[in-house]
Amino acid sequence: MTERMSRLRNYIVDHKHFALRQSQDVFNNIDISTYRDKNLSHAMRVAKRFELFLSKEVPVFLPEERIAFTRTLPALPPVLSEEEFDSIRATGKYIHEKGFVTNIAPDYQKIMSKGLYALIDEVKTRLSNAKKQDKEFYEIELITLNAIVDFALRYKEEALKQGYLDIYQDLCVVPFYAPKTFKQALQFLRIIHFCIWVEGEYHVILGRFDQMMYPYLKKDLDNGVLTNETALEVLEDFFISCNKDTDLYPGLQQGDNGQSIMLGGYDENGIDTYNLLSELCIKASYELKVIDPKINLRVNKTTPKERLLFASKLTTIGLGFPQYSNDDIVIPGLIKLGYDKADAHNYCVAACWEFIIPGVGMETVNISAMSYVICANNAINKYGESCKNIDELTSAVEQEVKEYTKVLLDEVYDIYLVPAPFMSLMFDGCIEEAKDISLGNKYNNYGQHGFGLGNAVDSISCFNHFVNETKEISAKDYLDVLQKDFAGNDEFRNKLVNYTEKFGNGIDNIDAIASRLLKAHSDACLAYKNSRNGICRAGTGSANCYVVSSTRNDYTASADGRKKCDFLPANYTPSITIKTKGPLSVVKSLTKPDLSNNINGGPATFEFTASSVNSDTGVEKLALLVENFIKLGGHQLQLNVINKSELIKAQQNPEAYRNLIVRVWGWSGYFVELDKCYQDQVILRADYSL
Amino acid sequence: MSYGTVFDIKEFSIYDGDGMRATVFLKGCPLRCKWCHNPEGFDINPEVMVKVANCLHCGKCRTTSCAVLSNSKCIGCGDCVNLCPQNLRSISGKKYSDTELIELLNGYEIFFNNDGGITFSGGEPLLQYEFLSDVLDGVKGKSMIETSAYAKSDVFKKIVNKLSKVYIDFKVFDSNKHIFYTGVDNAIIKTNLRLLQDLGKPFIVRIPLINDVNDDFDNLLNTAKFVKGGNLVGVELLPYNTLAPAKYPMYGKVFTENFSKPEKILTNVFTDNGIPVKVL
Repeated sequence: MTERMSRLRNYIVDHKHFALRQSQDVFNNIDISTYRDKNLSHAMRVAKRFELFLSKEVPVFLPEERIAFTRTLPALPPVLSEEEFDSIRATGKYIHEKGFVTNIAPDYQKIMSKGLYALIDEVKTRLSNAKKQDKEFYEIELITLNAIVDFALRYKEEALKQGYLDIYQDLCVVPFYAPKTFKQALQFLRIIHFCIWVEGEYHVILGRFDQMMYPYLKKDLDNGVLTNETALEVLEDFFISCNKDTDLYPGLQQGDNGQSIMLGGYDENGIDTYNLLSELCIKASYELKVIDPKINLRVNKTTPKERLLFASKLTTIGLGFPQYSNDDIVIPGLIKLGYDKADAHNYCVAACWEFIIPGVGMETVNISAMSYVICANNAINKYGESCKNIDELTSAVEQEVKEYTKVLLDEVYDIYLVPAPFMSLMFDGCIEEAKDISLGNKYNNYGQHGFGLGNAVDSISCFNHFVNETKEISAKDYLDVLQKDFAGNDEFRNKLVNYTEKFGNGIDNIDAIASRLLKAHSDACLAYKNSRNGICRAGTGSANCYVVSSTRNDYTASADGRKKCDFLPANYTPSITIKTKGPLSVVKSLTKPDLSNNINGGPATFEFTASSVNSDTGVEKLALLVENFIKLGGHQLQLNVINKSELIKAQQNPEAYRNLIVRVWGWSGYFVELDKCYQDQVILRADYSL
Repeated sequence: MSYGTVFDIKEFSIYDGDGMRATVFLKGCPLRCKWCHNPEGFDINPEVMVKVANCLHCGKCRTTSCAVLSNSKCIGCGDCVNLCPQNLRSISGKKYSDTELIELLNGYEIFFNNDGGITFSGGEPLLQYEFLSDVLDGVKGKSMIETSAYAKSDVFKKIVNKLSKVYIDFKVFDSNKHIFYTGVDNAIIKTNLRLLQDLGKPFIVRIPLINDVNDDFDNLLNTAKFVKGGNLVGVELLPYNTLAPAKYPMYGKVFTENFSKPEKILTNVFTDNGIPVKVL
């Protein structure tokens, strides 16, 4: 890393740029009725709010930065009031999270390849030829695009005035015209990204960054404009820019902002698309050690060993990057769900793990979460006394999974989303058909994650063993013990906890239970159709559900020895408190099910202590683990390196640990900025690391 | 059919050899190195391990009908394990027949590829050499061993011939010092090391490095000169593990020594003699 970059990095990490932000007062006297006007369409409201926001933004520059655009204002109030959202709900529509378009991957090239001036001309032409009912769509686009032009022009002037000539020169080209250099392309991307957040969408995915940007880089390298070293530096400028405004982005915790990039991948002809830029991205992340962008790497069984070694080196520094996805499983899985072959090969990852296709999907991949534990508890409560063996118990839980999945999905049948005019410009057919992305696109599927699988499998295994095999306890008494949350039954609970026939120990007949439950979930999801004719994709992620489970009353004690409100594991992992035989057995268990059926994503997760892997040998072993996981048919893999004693010290003395980064669920964040319940879960996980 | 006692099987062992690997820890050791951090490896018999730090002293573990109550020695029956409300008790040491252990270990075969396999460690794996020999005959992959080489030479030779690589400890060169710190003379170890060189088997010498015990120039130089030869891959230095005492209370044992890490690691003694050296 150059010294300039190091200074810029520290400037951001120390939040010094917060001083450049405008006072909240700017918004205090603002008249939001200009965009909250009931007579305006929702799309027009969004455009008016966007225009208003950008008119109040002030161009600022960070010392020595070379890629500009920094937020100085927090978001304006939403375009719809709570009452308006409620009245939409009252019509039977489902409002997901904040109501805005979220967690989709735009095709940035649809704007970048043209430049705003050409795009405005195109919209004007379409407007003049449009049918009456489509005219407003194009008028809204013009308001939006002109607002960006005005804002960018102000940035350009200010850059000249403040002597940021390098930035000024780039802003003479972008965003008005198509970029001519790699650096201009990055600046353009930064502007687009900035504007999407301002429009109100969140979890804004960066997508297949290396594929999108490599042609610009290659041209510069060929022309001698850049060398590998200077290209790395300018890339790092861009990476840094992704970290400037993250505290202003909506998310459950800071860092949960969806700025993921996907590197590499195999195309339809089996050609490896990993390129020099892919490699530079991994290197930049290694040098900068910041939480954005989140690095994902596509691999398959032919991925060269050197690449896995290079990526594993990034793993050892503890950012939780890269996360791997296996093309051998993901692509066929997507094709099975009905994705076109070309689209399936072009997948990237949503905010955390969900496999989505840039520019063609209005999918809500985290529509809801299905708890296997609740299903197992219900099934055992209802049918435990009559089930005589593992097969009958598993069938009972399968049935619960199917019913529960349907109940959850029926609640979200018809989704309403706030229009997203700017975002729409980057999706298939929107501009041609005058159709806002919020109304749907080529793919309109939902995704539902299933979590707590290990605890459900273990519950079946334990219940069967102690009731039907050893007959040590009657089903009725067992249920009674659970009802009392094991009070006065420590010895029995120990037996459950110490029983080893569990998911994660590589035991065929136990892992088969997991396969059946996963299939039950994916079957139930596939049987579903939403109002846009989309299906649901079953997944293996957990998001924050593992923490939520500790606060909800319906998470009663389970038959595997888990007490009420105990944490569940994050994502696709064995139960958090079982002592597995080790990572090899866990890999064996996790790769047995056909994961191409549960392709909404959600990674197998392994935690390592820093001291065990911080060496060349450690890196080599991590690479081998990845290689084997892929070879055996795993779909997605997350490797975390944590240091428990450091985490505890950071909890006690946060000021001294501002830089400490941990993987939380599908994203990484600064440990000291997390709520305590998330900190505690990370520390608990550390107990079970290698 | 032979039987042996194993106190742990560690999957994905990182520093115990090539490729994807699991390490089997055989219980029992003829040496008593004063710095040993694996006290569960001393005794060949299963024993109870208690995480005493979190003990509530509730006395529930005393409600078994086992022999301990009549003041005789714990036989590791395990009756008390589930009684602890904190789940702090477990049995260290499990008996396997050779066929059982082979079947279990060959379950890892899908991971082995070209380099991987099983490493047998301890304790001292050669203490249960008949069992080890039988297991080696049936186990897939590239087998390795971590040994003190304190065994009869014919036994040593027989086992080494079944391995792809050997990790051999060489703790202290001077035999009196060796007796003082480990309880045994190193003459037999030196003999076996020469034998290993003659057999041409690839081997790595491991030296636990302890301040003021064996980290001095003379000891390392004597060691370097002695181990050089045959198919020596290199030397690995393991600076003293300051967590060594951690497990002693769990086995009702007391760690009385006060060792520390070496202040300076003289790797150049080895490199100067043309021996590749790594610090782990």
